[in-house]
Amino acid sequence: MIRISDLSVHFGGVVALDNITVDIKDDIVGVIGPNGAGKTTLVNVLSGFVLPDSGTVDVEGVDLLSLAPHMRARWGLARSFQKVQTADNLTVADNIWVSLDTSASPGMKKHAALNRVLDYVGLADMADVPAYKLNPCQRRMTELARCLVASPRIVLLDEPGGGLSEIEVDKLRQVIGNIKTIFGAQVLLIDHDVELIKSVCSKTMVLDFGELIAFGPTETVLQDENVKAAYLGTEIKV
Amino acid sequence: MDVISHFRQESRTYAALGFVAICVIVLPVVIDSIWVKVLTSAVIFTLAAYGISLLYSQLGLVNLSQVALIGVGGWIMLRLNYAVQFPFELNLLVSAVITAFIGMILALPAMRMKGLYLALITLMVAGGFQIIFSAIQFPNGGAGFLGVALQSPGEMRRPLIAESDTAYLRYSIIVVVLGVMLAAAHNRGRPGRAWAMIRKSEANAMAAGVNVTLYKLWCFTLSGFLAGVSGGLLAGALKILDAKSFPAGESILLFALTIVGGVGHWMGAVIAGFLYRVVPAIFNTIGIDADLSLVIFGAALLHAIMTAPNGIAGQLSSLFQSLGRQNK
Repeated sequence: MIRISDLSVHFGGVVALDNITVDIKDDIVGVIGPNGAGKTTLVNVLSGFVLPDSGTVDVEGVDLLSLAPHMRARWGLARSFQKVQTADNLTVADNIWVSLDTSASPGMKKHAALNRVLDYVGLADMADVPAYKLNPCQRRMTELARCLVASPRIVLLDEPGGGLSEIEVDKLRQVIGNIKTIFGAQVLLIDHDVELIKSVCSKTMVLDFGELIAFGPTETVLQDENVKAAYLGTEIKV
Repeated sequence: MDVISHFRQESRTYAALGFVAICVIVLPVVIDSIWVKVLTSAVIFTLAAYGISLLYSQLGLVNLSQVALIGVGGWIMLRLNYAVQFPFELNLLVSAVITAFIGMILALPAMRMKGLYLALITLMVAGGFQIIFSAIQFPNGGAGFLGVALQSPGEMRRPLIAESDTAYLRYSIIVVVLGVMLAAAHNRGRPGRAWAMIRKSEANAMAAGVNVTLYKLWCFTLSGFLAGVSGGLLAGALKILDAKSFPAGESILLFALTIVGGVGHWMGAVIAGFLYRVVPAIFNTIGIDADLSLVIFGAALLHAIMTAPNGIAGQLSSLFQSLGRQNK
C-alpha cells in the first residue's frame, strides 16, 4: 500500500501538488488529469527526482522520501518515462540487465528472470538486437521489461501509451493488466487514453491544478461532474 | 542472424589478435633502432588515448588532462624505481593505482559538470600539473623525496625480460593490450551497461537503480589507471622524463587525435598513438618541420568532426565491411 499524506510541491509561484493525501491499495491505479495537473510531478516525487516541500510517502512501512533515487529503485520502485528511454547502443537484453545488475535480490536466477520477462513483453526473439534498431513500441516494451525484471514492488508508468497505434495499445493493455498477477507489483498508470485507464485500472485518481479532485472506482470517477468539467471539458452555458 | 553476428564478432577478435601478433613478432625485427623508440612511445600513448576514448564514448565526457596524468604516472614510477627494489611490474601497478586514485580525486568536483565546463576544469588541472612538474622536476636518482640529482643520474630499471629496446617494445605492446582488454571487459560487463544508461539519461539510469556518481567516478578512475600505466611504461622507455614534455597543450592534442582516430574502438586509439608520435618523427626524418604535423592534425580534426564522427577507425571498419559484402 502507498500512503501519501499532505504532499505539496511548489515550483516558484506554481503549485504543482497541493496537499495530496491518498491511500493507494489497489493493484492498478490510474492517474488522469489535464496537462499541467501534476501527474508527472507526482511520479517524480515518488521516484525521487523532485523533493516535496512537505508531506510524507509511506510504502509498506518504508519512508520512501528518505531514500536517494537509485536506492528507491533498488528497494523495488521501478518507473518508465514519458519519452521512452532505452540505451541505443545496448541490446534489448543488456538494457534489461541494467536492472538485474542493480536491483536483483540475492539468489535470484537472473537468466531465468530475463527470459521470463522477455517472453512476457513479447521480445523473446529480439534479445540480441541493439535498441537503435527497435520501433517505438518495441522500445516501450524493452523499458517495461526493464521495470519488471527484478521483481519490483511498485511500478510507475508515465504515459506508456503515448505515440502507440491502437493494436500496440492493445498489447500494452495486456502487459500492464497482468503485472500484478505475474510479477506481484502494484502499478500506478498515468495516461491520457481514458479507454486504456478504464480497461485496466480498478481505481483512478484525478488531478487538476495540483489538487486531487477525485479518487475512487474508475467508472464512478469518470462520471463525476467535477472530473468531466476539469478533464473532459463541459459546455459553457451562456 | 545470430550465427552471422557471432561470426563477425569472432572475425573481429581474430583481426585484433592478428594485428597484435604482427606488432609483437614482426615489427621489432624489421624496423631500426630509432624507430623502435618512436614506436614504443606510440604504443604507450595508445593506452592513454584509449582512456580518453573510454570517457568520451561511454559517458560523453571530455578529459583534457590525460597527458598530465601520464606525467603523474611517470613521476611515481621513477620515484618508486629509486626508492625501492621492487620488480618493474609491481612498481608499474602501484604507479597506475595511485594515478587512478589521483584521477578520481580530481574528477570529484567535476562530477556535476559536462561539456565545456568539464573540459575547462580538466584543462586547468593539466595546467596545474604543468606548473608542479616544472617546479619539482622528475626524480632521477637524487637524494630526498623529490629525488632530483643535478649530476650523475641513477639508472631507471627495466623489466628483467625486457632490457633491450626491442624487447621493451614487445613488452609495452603486451602491457597495452592487457590494459585495453581490461577496459573492454568493463565495457562489456556491468559498468558498460551502467555507463550506456547514464549516457542516455542520468535520470533514467537512477530510475534503474544505477549509482550515477559511483559509475562516473569509476570511468574517470579507469581512465586515470590507463594513463598511469602509460606513464610508468614511458618512464621505463625513456629512463629520464623531462618536465617540459607534459604541458597542458599536449593533453588537448592527444584528445583531438583520439577523436580523429575514432572513439569507442581500440583501433582509434592505435591510430591516435601513431599520429601523435610517429607522424612527427616521419616529418623529421624526411626533413620537414615536425610542427607541420599540427596543421595536418587540425585539418584531420575538422574532417573527423564534419564527415567522420567515428573517426578513421570507423571509416576503416565500414570500408572493410563493404569489401566483405562485395566478396560474398
